[in-house]
Amino acid sequence: MTDIPLTEPLQPTPLGTTHPDAARSDSFVTLPPGVARIATLVGVAGTIVSTFMSWTYTSAFPGDLTVNGYPGGLQVLTLIGAILTGLVALGAFGVKGLTWLVPNRSPNAVLLLAAGTFATTWYAVIAIAQELGGLANLNPGGFVAAVASLVLLVGTLGLPIDRQPLDPSGAEYYELGRLSENGPARGTYRWLRQARLNHGELPVPDPARAPAWVQYLTIVVVAAAGVKVLTYGLATGYTELFIGYLILVVFTLWAFIAAGLTRQFSKITADHRPFAALMGVVAAVAYPFVQNNEHWANLGVNILIFGTVALGLNIVVGLTGLLDLGYVAFLGVGAYAAALVSGSQYSIWSGVEFPFWAAALTGMAASLVFGVLIGAPTLRLRGDYLAIVTLGFGEIFRIAVNNLDGVSGPKVTNGPNGISQIPDLSVFGYNLGDPHQFGSITLGRFANYYLLMLVITVIVVLVFTRASDSRIGRSWIAIREDETAATAMGINGFRVKLIAFALGASLAGLAGTVSAHVTYSVVPNPYQFSGAAPPNSAFLLAAVVLGGMGTVSGPVLGAALLYIVPEKLGFLQRYELFAFGVTLILIMRFRPEGIIPNRRRKLEFHQDEALLPAQQALGDGTAALGKAGA
Amino acid sequence: MHTLPQQLANGLFLGSMYGLIAIGYTMVYGIVQLINFAHGEIFMTGAFGALTVWNCLPDGMNIWAALPLMLIGGAIVSVLIAVGAERFAYRPLRGAPRLAPLITAIGLSLALQQAIFVWYPGADNAKDFPQLGTHPYHLGSIAIQRNDIFLVAAAVVCMVGLAAFVRTSRTGRAMQATAQDPDTAQLMGIDTNRIIVIAFAIGGLFAAVAGVAFGLKYGQITYNMGFQAGLKAFTAAVLGGIGNIYGAMLGGLVLGIAEACATAYIANIPGMHQLGGQGWANVWAFVLLIVVLLVRPQGLLGERVADRA
Repeated sequence: MTDIPLTEPLQPTPLGTTHPDAARSDSFVTLPPGVARIATLVGVAGTIVSTFMSWTYTSAFPGDLTVNGYPGGLQVLTLIGAILTGLVALGAFGVKGLTWLVPNRSPNAVLLLAAGTFATTWYAVIAIAQELGGLANLNPGGFVAAVASLVLLVGTLGLPIDRQPLDPSGAEYYELGRLSENGPARGTYRWLRQARLNHGELPVPDPARAPAWVQYLTIVVVAAAGVKVLTYGLATGYTELFIGYLILVVFTLWAFIAAGLTRQFSKITADHRPFAALMGVVAAVAYPFVQNNEHWANLGVNILIFGTVALGLNIVVGLTGLLDLGYVAFLGVGAYAAALVSGSQYSIWSGVEFPFWAAALTGMAASLVFGVLIGAPTLRLRGDYLAIVTLGFGEIFRIAVNNLDGVSGPKVTNGPNGISQIPDLSVFGYNLGDPHQFGSITLGRFANYYLLMLVITVIVVLVFTRASDSRIGRSWIAIREDETAATAMGINGFRVKLIAFALGASLAGLAGTVSAHVTYSVVPNPYQFSGAAPPNSAFLLAAVVLGGMGTVSGPVLGAALLYIVPEKLGFLQRYELFAFGVTLILIMRFRPEGIIPNRRRKLEFHQDEALLPAQQALGDGTAALGKAGA
Repeated sequence: MHTLPQQLANGLFLGSMYGLIAIGYTMVYGIVQLINFAHGEIFMTGAFGALTVWNCLPDGMNIWAALPLMLIGGAIVSVLIAVGAERFAYRPLRGAPRLAPLITAIGLSLALQQAIFVWYPGADNAKDFPQLGTHPYHLGSIAIQRNDIFLVAAAVVCMVGLAAFVRTSRTGRAMQATAQDPDTAQLMGIDTNRIIVIAFAIGGLFAAVAGVAFGLKYGQITYNMGFQAGLKAFTAAVLGGIGNIYGAMLGGLVLGIAEACATAYIANIPGMHQLGGQGWANVWAFVLLIVVLLVRPQGLLGERVADRA
């Protein structure tokens, strides 16, 4: 954001927009300030009360919302949302003892939480009316909830809001100017543009001034809350609850970002990185103990495999900027290699049974060999060739393992039937297939594999972070940002790129060895470019891009999201891949840095906006074309 | 059937189709240095557009009379999608790092493919495409299907037309200038945005022709046929030297012939008897791509271009 020097006369406001500074700190709905605050608090109180009332007559709607005095199902979500909104609103109004909830004193957080509560409540009410056939199925409690949350939303809309000022540099006006022939479009665009909330840039108190124990406690509490929220989401028993949960979580996180809480928290974790990492691992280890159920452990292990592979892909795509579209094939190579040496009777070497460490090394080595074979000819050329060659390789891998059945080709992989009956792994004499007793808690097969996979994930995270901070990692980033300049600085581009590509491939191979044992069998079908279920190359790429390229937590979060959402919203299955494609396009257009941005990456994607206004006016036409050749 | 001339002819027909699609890749790449991954899907939508026209025509209509209408319908769909993709997906990203438009292209490809799968009636399964008749003509020992005649004729007409357009017309020369140096071209008063749109439009047009030819040749079209065809066509474009329109056609022909010969003859090589046949054709095409990238990365007709990073 460029500051306007105070000495300069104000620019004439183009196209009737108000001056940038005037666009800040006004509300969407004009209400006297006192009224807005009172409406907010009344709305909160009303919503809380409503959740203790009965919302519907019948228990036909899942979650049993019929009981007076005890919230259930979606009511719990509304209750949590309303309480959070109330606390944050009081904090934003300056009530002592709660101001820490809104460190940057921005009222946006209140609005976002209120919007989340409103959306969850209205979703519940509309779902009841729609599924049971009519508003008549609503009890007074439902109407109270709807009205109270509406009052809450209107009240918060009346609060002064921090809006993002229109960018005074050329780009905004240029965009507006292009739309100037079309009146309604221009009006809509301006409204949307002005409605954009401003957050993240307001100063927050430095959390490092808090006592050390508070900082450690914060990390512990956040880790515990994270596990709790995640397991709650996984355990949601029906679609309506999951959708409500998703709405509330998204708005709450957004509100925390707007309040500056996430900024403070990332400062704390940056100051105490080893402890934060340890807590992350502890939370992950605790998951199978807390959620002691084989189904969720299976989900967990699949998410970990998917996330680990996405993290490996992140080295290639996020750090080095090479687009690998056949990455899942390396997972497949690892899985097949492990299956062949697992001692399965369907393997052509059925007598061979490697111990786990040897099988893992075999899988990694096999993927490494293929990675080098594919990378060596292509990485000398422009990056685009790599994209298409890996796309081809992914496809060829699937065709080849399909054909290597002894009929259409040599007998290696058993064709479409794959290699099944892969025996369970045994690590240090501990058979992962059997349930094991830990005190009163029994860890089943998938929980065992979950813990093994967690070890591998930690290894991959360590490799990722250590590599990206090392000399070689810095050369990857240099290559990503400008290959010509990096080469001129003495970096051997080909060698460095090949290392990234081969490392990424072998990490996928490592994950593949475990995945072969988890699923008992390997078949060619999952290893394709796009399909309805993860992992496939399109899902992996989407996980990395959605989560945030170049970060550790981004791809893991992306993988978890992309695994859980299709799992929970089965009715979307037909539209899932379509939604993916559109999501990829929209992310690249509007938030190329992903959900969790890497700071440097973000600057790279938004370098145009950092240009001086004068350059920008020219930049959009000529310079952009020049850079397209880049 | 398995004589060498027959295989060469088969390869020629297949290669003409690859070449037609490859032109779209190569023109766009030559001007904006972008691999339009969605081009395979544009080819696919062209075929579906033509099929829609056929289904709207009265039953029992002569296929030869319907063919021009189908071509026009397919071309309208493909060109609209190609131009729309340029305008709304690629153009906003023109200044962005190179990864951004590539990922957008992947997303677009998925979205187009799935849009047909979800919303085109009955596209879950393969859709039947009208046929030109099954009696082949015989030229010596070579059997030539009617659809292959259409394919080769279409390829020749398109290629000659394009060559004439690029060489002689004002727009064509502006296109060459933009491909050589977009900045200077713009300084010389060329509307480069318009040139880019035209390049996408021509690519879409040729893809639609190839889509119709594909339907006529194989009798069926599917929502995911663009993926493999696009992959092959891109291989052809690289083979011929990406950025060079004659190279794209030549690359297509070479790839088609290589594929036909590999399918027929690889099995005769001692020790490789199990690696012939249709199942391995794609594998050999891919191996050819890797070998070309190793030996002659600029392609058959491409010039050695310094990496314009």
